[in-house]
Amino acid sequence: MNQKLTVGIADMKIGKGNDLLVTYALGSCIGLCFYDQRTKTGALLHIMLPLNMEPGRKNPLKYADTGIRETLRQLETQGASRSRITVKIAGGAKMFEVNGGNLGNIGQRNIESVHTILRMEGIRLLGEHVGGNVARTMLLDVDSGQSCIRSYGRPDIIF
Amino acid sequence: MNIKSFDQLTSMEIDTLREIGSIGTGNAATAMSTMLGRQVRITLPEVRIMGYNEAIEWIGGPETVTAGVLVRMSGQMNGIMLAVQQLDFVNLVLGSMLGTTIENYENLDELRKSTLVEVGNIAISTFINALTGLSGISVDLTVPAFAVDMQGAILAVPMAEYGGMSDYLMTIGGNFVCDNKTVPCRLLLSPDIRSLNFLLKKLGVAE
Repeated sequence: MNQKLTVGIADMKIGKGNDLLVTYALGSCIGLCFYDQRTKTGALLHIMLPLNMEPGRKNPLKYADTGIRETLRQLETQGASRSRITVKIAGGAKMFEVNGGNLGNIGQRNIESVHTILRMEGIRLLGEHVGGNVARTMLLDVDSGQSCIRSYGRPDIIF
Repeated sequence: MNIKSFDQLTSMEIDTLREIGSIGTGNAATAMSTMLGRQVRITLPEVRIMGYNEAIEWIGGPETVTAGVLVRMSGQMNGIMLAVQQLDFVNLVLGSMLGTTIENYENLDELRKSTLVEVGNIAISTFINALTGLSGISVDLTVPAFAVDMQGAILAVPMAEYGGMSDYLMTIGGNFVCDNKTVPCRLLLSPDIRSLNFLLKKLGVAE
């Protein structure tokens, strides 16, 4: 397999071999790169909100808590092991300086929720580029396990 | 009956919202025309109910850099209003008002930024004034906020705000036409569902 897979908002894709996973323009949303070095299996998840309180839970991938758990479950069915899976995250920015509502702090709440859920699930967080006020595009090269962040008017970050 | 999700709107309700969009955008175009000293018309406004990823494709791809002016509404109606200004529009405004244009957004200095914020703010305020005059709803607006970045992330702001309630984003808005050329500046009104129900009731179209 050698393909470029695009992950939308409230979406997740699993890649193997030489796949390249990409998700565009993370603002207050958070992108999570899951990676198992041994089986070279990676997943990229794009969540939008911190906690799933929706009745019916139609779309688990929209939220940090249900999204992370669903991704781990699917990775395990693909042969990845929870003890080896590591995660890198990006996003959680604040795009507009506005007061009022829950608009201003959604990014920050997303970051905190992701940290908490990862700790609860016992998943190691290898690196993060979060906060600030820049949009980020996140890529995961499944072969090497390296992540790349692209932002407007800034140099790319590889980590 | 109150709707719980944007996809439950009837065609009559959508027509009413389109009319609101038409009057709002029309008023904004008149204000814009006065500011720029040129004739500004509008395209037929649209009411769109879109999934997240569909909305981002519709506005022209996630990574395209644009300028966004954002104002929050509160009071009897809650929501967000966004003016998404693409490069052609930015140059039209800067060319008419300051006599300069830019190659890309990195050339925006403080004066140019504040010009764009003000033009966006006036367009938004005129739109909301028309809406409140028509419906008799009182709405407070915040000071405008400004960002230049990937438009996917800018559009994600109203999505995240109402994401807990709906998998869809509803936008009412239109484009401007200046000198027979469509200049991409979209005015997008995104109310929350409760406010939308209230608005439709006030206008007498909710069943």
